[in-house]
Amino acid sequence: MIMGSFTGRHIIDTADLSNEEILYLVDTANAIQNMGEKALDLARGKTLATLFWEPSTRTRLSFEAAMFNIGGQVLGFSEAQSSSVSKGETLADTIKTVSQYADIIAMRHPMEGSALAASHFSDSPIINGGDGAHLHPTQTMGDIYTLFKEKGRLEGLKVGFLGDMLFGRTIHTLARVLARFGVEMTFFSPEGLNIPSYVRADLEEKNATFSEFTDLEPTALKDLDMLYVTRIQKERFFSEEEYLRKKNSYVINRKILENAKNDLLVLHPLPRNEEISTDVDALPNAGYFRQAKYGLQMRMAIIASCLGRI
Amino acid sequence: MRIERIKNGIVMDHINAGVGIEILNLFPKELLHTRIDYAAFIDSPSLGEKDIIKIENLNVDPATLMKMAILSPKITISIIRDGKVSKKIRPTVPPVIEGVLTCDNPKCVTRQEPYLATKFKVSREENRFIRQCLYCEHIFQTKIGTLS
Repeated sequence: MIMGSFTGRHIIDTADLSNEEILYLVDTANAIQNMGEKALDLARGKTLATLFWEPSTRTRLSFEAAMFNIGGQVLGFSEAQSSSVSKGETLADTIKTVSQYADIIAMRHPMEGSALAASHFSDSPIINGGDGAHLHPTQTMGDIYTLFKEKGRLEGLKVGFLGDMLFGRTIHTLARVLARFGVEMTFFSPEGLNIPSYVRADLEEKNATFSEFTDLEPTALKDLDMLYVTRIQKERFFSEEEYLRKKNSYVINRKILENAKNDLLVLHPLPRNEEISTDVDALPNAGYFRQAKYGLQMRMAIIASCLGRI
Repeated sequence: MRIERIKNGIVMDHINAGVGIEILNLFPKELLHTRIDYAAFIDSPSLGEKDIIKIENLNVDPATLMKMAILSPKITISIIRDGKVSKKIRPTVPPVIEGVLTCDNPKCVTRQEPYLATKFKVSREENRFIRQCLYCEHIFQTKIGTLS
């Protein structure tokens, strides 16, 4: 019995969730979608604070829309300059203060481990909306929900990851969860942007089946059920020159998809640059906008569960 | 060279050869305005070669002891009082270390928020000391005689 076990709980890392709890959140997301207008009672009278020390319009809007969709209210800031950080306030003090105003906090912070640190000082549940290049559990939970909605299962799927494996936090978190569900993984990344050693060590510890390539051969896609494409993030590079050299290493377009299964699902955490050509958008394979919808629905489930309302 | 007996202070023995200087560096310089005897690369039945350090009128705190054990796993520390060994310590490294080492990842939250006590899961493999930051999860490996 899992119902209720999320009440008051911090969501920092998907590693803290058992497989059973992950499946529970998937079921909860489905259940909320079937509630109709009754979903508006789930967070009635409750307030979510969105504390975003670094800009991320999409994730912040998704959290805020999720809270509105279940009847709650939202407050917060969307950049460090508009918070007390610009006056030298510590993370601990910001969290201690805001947790007096809000019933639940969704945060994004540039430093790795910041959400875990925040959870030590908060009187309200902390939901990690991204801590530097480290973890992004609600994106992962949305992606897991997307796979269930689109493929009906996780077990036995063959999944490819393309792009920046070093700084791509969505990939790190998702790969570690998929490893627990017996998903076979292939990573395609430019030299120097391979998965970090601590993620590789974790996958090996879980006896995951995975391989890594620095070239994207067209035939490499042929067995995949899902291809997860990521942007090469400009803000993660130390120089413009290095960024320009690597950003177009891989591009997915209609032509390359001719080598893939007809029902290959193409996902992307968004925003995208040129790594998925817009000519892919009209294909049924393009799952990235549906993925954004499922991410929102999963955040509704996470907030309602942590508030103890479902 | 002769290493004299000391009356009060500490004797650090079984230090890996050449690592003594790193052990000395663990102490704030102002505490080292005292007599120090340091013998390096001397014969040792158990280690082959070893360093020995004797420092007069000095104490050692638990955090420094832990750093010594990381730098030199077989080190022994004798506390000398009135010319006699009052205590012999063989420091060990627990599986999780709190507040002793700094995280080498410049993007780790513990670097920006210094009031946070660092926390590492640690292990040793042959001559490597492996530590994983429990905040940012970065893994660092160091050889005997180095802390970062």
